[in-house]
Amino acid sequence: MSASVSPECTPLKHEYDSCFNAWFEGYLEPAVAASASSKEREAYSTKKAEEFQQKCGKIWESYRLCVQKAVKEKGLDKLLQQAREEHPLTEPPPNPTQPGQSS
Amino acid sequence: MKFFSQSFLYDDPWSIVSLAFFLRYPNPYASHVISCDVISRIQTPSGSLLTTRLILKRGNMPKWFPQGIVSRAESWVVEESEVDPHGKVVHCRTRNLDHVKVMQVEESVSFCQTPEGKTLQHTEARIVSGFGWGLTKRIENHGLTRFKANVQRSREGVSLILSLLRQSRLQPMTLGAPPASHDDNSVSHNENDGLTRPKRGAWTKFTSWFMPPPAS
Repeated sequence: MSASVSPECTPLKHEYDSCFNAWFEGYLEPAVAASASSKEREAYSTKKAEEFQQKCGKIWESYRLCVQKAVKEKGLDKLLQQAREEHPLTEPPPNPTQPGQSS
Repeated sequence: MKFFSQSFLYDDPWSIVSLAFFLRYPNPYASHVISCDVISRIQTPSGSLLTTRLILKRGNMPKWFPQGIVSRAESWVVEESEVDPHGKVVHCRTRNLDHVKVMQVEESVSFCQTPEGKTLQHTEARIVSGFGWGLTKRIENHGLTRFKANVQRSREGVSLILSLLRQSRLQPMTLGAPPASHDDNSVSHNENDGLTRPKRGAWTKFTSWFMPPPAS
């Protein structure tokens, strides 16, 4: 696992990554039938989110706060905020053949 | 502006390709990645996972590029992804945050499951320079050439991780891992390692190849 932006966050990142990746592997193969209703899927997803919270919630919070602090100290938070406002990821990637991509 | 588009078909199912994609750093083909952090990660009510990662990459300026304009050949990159495990789709968008006047590279990658159970990767990139001084075209062409080479390397990286994952799923025994006290599919948990090692899935076995077992 690669390093964190700040050396002091790296151990937290590694612990978080391990926890997340183990959870993520199961998340990618949801145990609901393809024919399941959206309600059933939502119920499953809620359960999966709770499982994450229970298993990795604490380490995620420590890691997140550590990185947040490092990002602020390096002045990257403004750069990030600006980038997010310009292009939020809300829909599938833009297709250049669509109108509005005149550049 | 330069535009690039390419599709690639993996024989493996979507879930394992997507896992490999998110595990791709570090790998020997990505030695330019200095750091990689998750900045935010939320699960939507419908079950999709939205992640923002902040990545620091090392780069090289071409020899012909004027000296003293870019003080350090490092670049901050933001990667926003959306994983929909029910629809079996990953969308991922990446772009650089600094040096954007010199060159902005915006990459979109998606992974979709095909009806045959394979995985289709589609990559698109837009490369724009606003540099001027008669160098705009040259910078964009250079960026495109580099991007093409990097797409190839990146795919080799994902393929390497993929083959390691595949092997770790096939093999019941792991290299360098502590002796398994229960079967992989066993539901019984050892209380002591329940938190950090909830399940001896491919990921857990995979990681034990790279790292020694944690000292307890």
